[in-house]
Amino acid sequence: MDALTAALKVAASGLGAQSERLRVVSENLANAQSTGNTPGADPYRRKTITFQSELDRTSGGSLVEVSSIARDPSDFPIEFQPGNEAADEKGYVKMPNVNALVEMADMSEANRSYEANLQVIKQARDLISMTIDLMRNQQ
Amino acid sequence: MQPVNLFDLATRQSQWLAVRQSAIASNIANANTPGYTANDVEPFEKVLDRTAVTLAATQAGHLGAEKANAGFNVKPKEATGSIMPSKNTVVLEDELMKAGEVRRSFELNTAIVKAFHSMMTMVVKS
Repeated sequence: MDALTAALKVAASGLGAQSERLRVVSENLANAQSTGNTPGADPYRRKTITFQSELDRTSGGSLVEVSSIARDPSDFPIEFQPGNEAADEKGYVKMPNVNALVEMADMSEANRSYEANLQVIKQARDLISMTIDLMRNQQ
Repeated sequence: MQPVNLFDLATRQSQWLAVRQSAIASNIANANTPGYTANDVEPFEKVLDRTAVTLAATQAGHLGAEKANAGFNVKPKEATGSIMPSKNTVVLEDELMKAGEVRRSFELNTAIVKAFHSMMTMVVKS
């Protein structure tokens, strides 16, 4: 496999990993208010994603892949909501440990990395077409 | 007769640029991978200096026959600037700058080859 095709493949793996990250962020944001449905039950627990690099033996490039989607073990914030079905006997409800600001920051970082990978794909494609152009329009 | 050396040189540089582009792609894809160290290819001058005799690989089983990056050394580069707490040494801006360099060099390279090729065609046609 030539190096430019390898570059395309690596950048595509980056796109895949970053979109997976965006999926996790959107799950967290969508469930930012999801409480349990029995008194004192645990609410939605925030998910985290980690990447690892994997050497692609056919091309020599380092692909990126999702190594694990884990749960954030931090404590749940507690709110006083006596009307909620997940409220304990004192009226307190455990809310999900999702911080919208952290998720937004994560989202824009994923966005930026996605753009960088797209840029690499564009450029590798341009380099390939420059090479092909050598054989074209030679009057 | 003096053999025409330019095509050989241009091919070698475009191979080097392609390997560099794939190193950049690996760095950018792994910009958020914990513990990843950024790689770069050795400078092209070094490639030209090193005219070592390499073993010819005529079969798939020979030493060095499976080398994918055409004999260019891809090494982890020393960290510039700050390292993330996750021990990742990729600086996205640096990588994009390098990608720009690769693009310009590749444009120059293909333009020179094109010009040279048209000169040769001119000679053959006239």
